[in-house]
Amino acid sequence: MAAVTAPIAELDKVVFRWSARDAACLDIERFALSPGERVFLHGPSGSGKSTLLGLLGGVLVQERGSVRVLGQSLEKLGAASRDRFRADHVGFIFQQFNLIPYLSAIENVMLPCRFSARRARLSADAARLMSRLDLDPSLHHRLAMQLSVGQQQRVAAARALIGRPELVIADEPTSSLDAERQRIFLDLLLHQCAEADATLLFVSHDHRLAGAFDREVALASINRAYERREAA
Amino acid sequence: MSHWLLLAAKSAWNRRLTLGLTVLAVALSVVLLLGVERVRSDAREGFTQSVSGTDLIVGARTSAVQLMLYTVFRIGEATNNMRWDAYQELARHPLIAWTIPLSLGDSHRGFPVLGTTPGYFEHFRYGDSRPLAFAAGKPFAELFDAVLGAQVAEALGYRMGDRIVLSHGIGGIGLPEHADKPFVVSGILQRTGTPVDRTVHVSLAAIQAIHLDWQGGAPVPGFSIPAQYVRKFDLTPKEITAALIGLHSRAAVFKMQRYIDDYKGEPLMAVLPGVALDELWRVVGVAENTLLAVSGMVVLVGLTGLVAVVLAGLNERRREIAVLRAVGASPRGIFLLLTTEGLLVTALGCVLGILLLLALTVAAAPLAQSRYGVALHPRVISLAELRLLALVIAVGVLASLIPGYRAYRLSLADGLAPRL
Amino acid sequence: MPRLAFLLPLALSALLGTASATDEYRVGDRLPQAKAKPDAKSSYQTIRWEALVPEGWDPARDLRGINLAMLNDGDRRATEALEKMKKAWDEAPVEPAWNGQRVRLPGFVVPLERVKEDVTEFLLVPYFGACIHVPPPPANQIIHVFPAKPVKNLRTMDAVWVIGVLDTTRSEALKGGNEAMGMAVAGYRMTAEQISPYKGPAR
Repeated sequence: MAAVTAPIAELDKVVFRWSARDAACLDIERFALSPGERVFLHGPSGSGKSTLLGLLGGVLVQERGSVRVLGQSLEKLGAASRDRFRADHVGFIFQQFNLIPYLSAIENVMLPCRFSARRARLSADAARLMSRLDLDPSLHHRLAMQLSVGQQQRVAAARALIGRPELVIADEPTSSLDAERQRIFLDLLLHQCAEADATLLFVSHDHRLAGAFDREVALASINRAYERREAA
Repeated sequence: MSHWLLLAAKSAWNRRLTLGLTVLAVALSVVLLLGVERVRSDAREGFTQSVSGTDLIVGARTSAVQLMLYTVFRIGEATNNMRWDAYQELARHPLIAWTIPLSLGDSHRGFPVLGTTPGYFEHFRYGDSRPLAFAAGKPFAELFDAVLGAQVAEALGYRMGDRIVLSHGIGGIGLPEHADKPFVVSGILQRTGTPVDRTVHVSLAAIQAIHLDWQGGAPVPGFSIPAQYVRKFDLTPKEITAALIGLHSRAAVFKMQRYIDDYKGEPLMAVLPGVALDELWRVVGVAENTLLAVSGMVVLVGLTGLVAVVLAGLNERRREIAVLRAVGASPRGIFLLLTTEGLLVTALGCVLGILLLLALTVAAAPLAQSRYGVALHPRVISLAELRLLALVIAVGVLASLIPGYRAYRLSLADGLAPRL
Repeated sequence: MPRLAFLLPLALSALLGTASATDEYRVGDRLPQAKAKPDAKSSYQTIRWEALVPEGWDPARDLRGINLAMLNDGDRRATEALEKMKKAWDEAPVEPAWNGQRVRLPGFVVPLERVKEDVTEFLLVPYFGACIHVPPPPANQIIHVFPAKPVKNLRTMDAVWVIGVLDTTRSEALKGGNEAMGMAVAGYRMTAEQISPYKGPAR
């Protein structure tokens, strides 16, 4: 089936190894994200998940193959340009320690706008975004280190979404939360991504969450380097 | 750039306890460095300003610096005196325009006493050819009149008409007193910022009078001449400590110096104040530079502490750095952040140091004035001190490059997810 | 880090300018000057110290007349002649033709007056150590210099070039005024426009 629209992100014949002596830790024939898609990537530790996210973020550069985001081949950009590209187009959420502890919640949310003129322009009222993520205004000016884990994750989500980046990558964002808050967070995130027309790549080891997504991919199965390692 | 500054400031504020101590360390080292420079410069200025318009200082043969020190600065003691008739013969020399004889050796409650003639108040100049001015009273007219320097009057709370008793010798406490011959304060000089301020001036005749019944530094037992009878005796001094000389033409100073050095009647020497001062600075200069170098070392120690503290805290901040990387910061930006932090701490330390030094100067100024006659000027900062400070900040920036570079490498290695 | 620690005292020393000119010269040294050549472009003349001596003044005249080999030891005439020469030295006249002339010459500094640490008056002498151990220069070889602006960083026996206007009038006034004074007291005066460190005979 031919794709109607160009993928938001795609990896083609990508091989990555940490140094010349190491075995490849990532070997992917093809991996693509369509615009607006919500993809659940099942990636336990050791499957090359961090490397994949690093490649998509432009922090790492592959040995072979091409990594394209919004049609731009990242390997063709210089390091500084990749950093700017990431700032402009990608929002990240991690499992924990997402925030700068000595900045307030709203200052954390606004962080990407310091590094991306595009997102600064497109950032509507940060306070409103935060409210939509169930963050009470009284929390906005509290220092990040004074917030609960659940609140921190929601602030991280707001930060990832501010200024309408085209791609949001969430790496185990709910793993530090209890079951009930996981559900709430997931709902909020999915809802806001849809509102912002952002493509969501959600990485987790917990299959139970996969149901809410358009597509589920197992990194272990698309990463041939993982198969080889397991086989050895 | 400004967002790095803000981020660095907030980050530093977050760790204000440890960084605060580092700021204090830098501040104290800056106080030491600038303080040494300030004392050096103010002392030099004070010394230079202490005598003006005097062409030669004449005294018994000793070292030029020593002669200068005790005649102009009242520091130290004369080893030998010069005879009065030798002085008189000298004063008659056609090249000489004026002379001021000086007699030192007594003191009053720690302040040196100077025996001289009224010509002192007429001819003596200090600073930029400034003459002495009276805040109250006039030069001594009566035998036991005394003219006080501004510092003496202020420190001891003397006013016109007060009676004071002189002590024999320079020391402070436990000196034998000329108790039977008290002096009356007949004049108080205006402040000059020189050792004149802490001197008690009396006439040469009065010095002679109080020592009439003394022999070898102590009163002769059973033999005392009451104050009212001293005038019956010849009060011409036999000896003086030194003399200040002014010439008709300053270019003749070498000739006069030669004449005095060759004078057959007595072993004398003549010293050009400007030249003697340069010699003093040459001698003292070595100590000054050593002190300055040591202070520089202390600053380095303070900055090393800063680097160590920031480096030690880097490990905890790897997550913070990863977050910044995730939102688009480049490793170079991380480098900038850390270096800016170091610069901020150094700058803060310098500012705090300047303020501390100001406070210290204000506190120490009265002591320096009363003990050494050196005026310490409380000021925020001088040009020379600013140059030193610029050097400190430059070194601080250089030192901050170390944690900056380390953070740069860490951010590259850690990427988005540091393995901690 | 150790490299920096080593550099700082050096940097400090450089800042403080501790290098002393007096280390380079010995007592009696004169400053070498290039052969005086007329410089049409500048408004001043570069001169040598000898030029300040009037023509025909020869203080050693009397001494020359004596054949020293023929005298006995301690002969009165030798001592007298020497005394006469010394006296002539002291009374050395100035050359009035220099009055108002703008000149440039090198010499050693003897500071007289300072304000703060800047020199406002000094004597310029032709040779090093003129105030110690050696006979002082004759009166027409001493210049009483008044710099237009106080000079920074000037120490005793620093070697400098001075450019300024000479003044001989005061000397005449003093000589004429007081017969009893006998000895001429003033040499040359100069208002100096420019004082710069001496760095060698070139120019």
